[in-house]
Amino acid sequence: MEDVPSRNLVASLVAAGAATLASSVLADSALEHYRGSFRNPAMVLPLAAAGLGIVVNAGRALGRDEGRSIGISSHVGSMGVGATGLGFHAYNILKRPTAGGMNGLFYAAPAGAPAALILSGLLGRTADTLRARPAEQRDAIGRPLAVICAVGLLGTVAEAGLLHFRGAYHNPFMWLPIVLPPMAATALARDAASGSAHPMTQMLLGATVALGLVGVGFHIYGVARNMGGWRNWRQNILAGPPVPAPPAFTGLALAGLGALLLLRQRKEHHG
Amino acid sequence: MRSYSETEAVDFVIVGTGAGGGTLAARLAEAGFSVIAMDAGPYWRPLEDFASDETHQEKLYWTDERIVDGEHPIKLGSNNSGKSVGGSTVHFAMVSLRFRPEHFKARTKLGYGADWPVDWREMWRYYAEVEDALKIAGPVRYPWGPHRGRYPYRAHPLNAAAEYLARGAEALGIDWTETPLATLSAPRGKAHPCVYRGFCVTGCSTNAKQSVLVTWLPRALAAGAEIRDLAMVGQIETKNGRVTGVQYHREGEWRFQPARNVIVAGYAIETPRLLLNSANGEFPNGLANSSGLVGKNLMVQLNQAVWGIVEDEVRSYKGPPSLAISEHWNYEDRGKDYFGGWSYMSQGPLPITWARTLSGGRGLWGQALIDEMARVNHSVGLKMVGEVLPDERNRVTLADECDQYGLRIPRVTFAFRDNEKAMIRHALDFMDQSLAATGATERWQESDDTCHLNGTARMGNDPATSVVNSDCRSWDIPNLWICDGSIFPTVGGVNPSLTIQAMACRTADRILLANHEAS
Repeated sequence: MEDVPSRNLVASLVAAGAATLASSVLADSALEHYRGSFRNPAMVLPLAAAGLGIVVNAGRALGRDEGRSIGISSHVGSMGVGATGLGFHAYNILKRPTAGGMNGLFYAAPAGAPAALILSGLLGRTADTLRARPAEQRDAIGRPLAVICAVGLLGTVAEAGLLHFRGAYHNPFMWLPIVLPPMAATALARDAASGSAHPMTQMLLGATVALGLVGVGFHIYGVARNMGGWRNWRQNILAGPPVPAPPAFTGLALAGLGALLLLRQRKEHHG
Repeated sequence: MRSYSETEAVDFVIVGTGAGGGTLAARLAEAGFSVIAMDAGPYWRPLEDFASDETHQEKLYWTDERIVDGEHPIKLGSNNSGKSVGGSTVHFAMVSLRFRPEHFKARTKLGYGADWPVDWREMWRYYAEVEDALKIAGPVRYPWGPHRGRYPYRAHPLNAAAEYLARGAEALGIDWTETPLATLSAPRGKAHPCVYRGFCVTGCSTNAKQSVLVTWLPRALAAGAEIRDLAMVGQIETKNGRVTGVQYHREGEWRFQPARNVIVAGYAIETPRLLLNSANGEFPNGLANSSGLVGKNLMVQLNQAVWGIVEDEVRSYKGPPSLAISEHWNYEDRGKDYFGGWSYMSQGPLPITWARTLSGGRGLWGQALIDEMARVNHSVGLKMVGEVLPDERNRVTLADECDQYGLRIPRVTFAFRDNEKAMIRHALDFMDQSLAATGATERWQESDDTCHLNGTARMGNDPATSVVNSDCRSWDIPNLWICDGSIFPTVGGVNPSLTIQAMACRTADRILLANHEAS
């Protein structure tokens, strides 16, 4: 752990995080917008933006470079489509009658989901910046990146918390994404504030990376608990918990690990 | 399933396995008593036995011979009967509401009807127990009445019919909410969440509906109770002022099951019928009838509706039929020229029911009926559940005719009085305003429907004016109990099943306490 990690590793981690988020968004919005019959033509936009984001960011994560301009259009496009999506989703929620305010939040377009696309764009842009800057200017990105990841994690927790509440936490494991990622986000935010990277933060972020992948397994099981199980997959993949959603935690935690490395380098460079 | 012999007395024979009897079977068996719960109907397995077919599913109803008369004869058979293990909860609309607290003291607090001999706070605790046992899916915040704990499961999504109720209520400035329903909004054990098939009131074929059949009865079986289906109890026998067991008809013959206690839970027609048919030398006017009130004070609930046509496609038959509710007029006493309360809910009639409504309720026939049926996807309606006041002239008596078992059949006599007529006027007018506010046109009123049956063996504090005491125990015969909708002194403006189950839980606890004190 004494070695200063390679700069490319940090950029790769952040780009991998962006690609993971984009993958989650592509699969999730494809399912959910298919369920909504692509009633509004704009519902294909997140698929396009996330698809491009995967290509660009996965390439960057593996050390390839499709070029600066395609990168910028991908990242800015993701952020733009995500922001527009937030507006559409808010409209979808607010146009319904909502006794006590909850039915729309439970069953209308998910309030926070498009934000994942914004985060993917932000992380992709950050990865590009890391690659472009001279070495001595990169460490400064650690703090803002850590804050982005911490806030993103907490937003994802809020979404999971709301939807798991809708499911009445009928399975105790549904508490996991409500308990673990906030600890990781808090530790990361604390490290950003103090400017030093704690080993515990790295463990918590690593666990959150794993949690997002384990969550896919839980959601696959959740789909099976609907009438007809996976034999009736065409209906139940839409009725059950969203299988592609949990890796949003993985993506943000990967980028958070990148931020942690930058914080550590900064400490080493500046003492 | 454990089975008991007819040579030895069991602790309890329960007559009926619905909201009252099924709940008691579970609670008493879990307390260690030997229990046989008998039902005249069969023990269905919904996954195999239920079809998405209204006509076929009429097998769930009690359609034995009966006589209905009076100024407003009650239509019997669907929404007020059940001949299945699990009773009418097998096909109920799953609406699971608590009484307004003041409605337990209607005489003292509101000046009409009769008081219940129980405290609402005690009932509140039993409501919570039943809501948890049924994993009721309800709103996060309930707009009316004192604080209640969080419903165990979250409310279901609203269908378009429910949204019409919501928009109407908001336009009229009153509260509405998602109806607390006994169907799963998330998995529970082996049960899947509701698939919104919409055939709820003809029997749920997925077991998402948390009826007595899939909630209390599995618990009863696990605790060693026997459910004896296709067993029609015809007479309760007595000796020296105590019941000794029941005569019942099964597999073509009359049999006798001895019991140390008998609980009657046959709903508000079959319960008084059995008590009256059990008249003997010791009790010539029927069992538990020293007050003369067995069979009297029959209360249905008002089930009038307003329907209309809207431009949007509603498809109101999607999902559970009553996803949204307003209890405003249960909790608001001002602005009424009548006693009592009512709630109203969104509606989702199935095709045959809708054709019956249009032909019987609206008088459409032939091409006019066909044309109107073709617009079903644009039809939307609101339907009330309204309080009927107790009146001794509304009653169940025995006719001279006999049924297939050779038992005298019930005669059900009923009439609306001025109070009911005033409530119907107000409710129809209000629901019409609500529909109008949402843009529904061609509105019409279905003015003669009723639902639920209650009140023919009322509970009370005085043996002269009630059939059972606050423990649901007969004043006359110490080892005879009645626990179903019959014991209701008043019905309130909410569907009765949750209250029946809560009362059954309370009765079980009272039996345990009495047993503990005796030993």
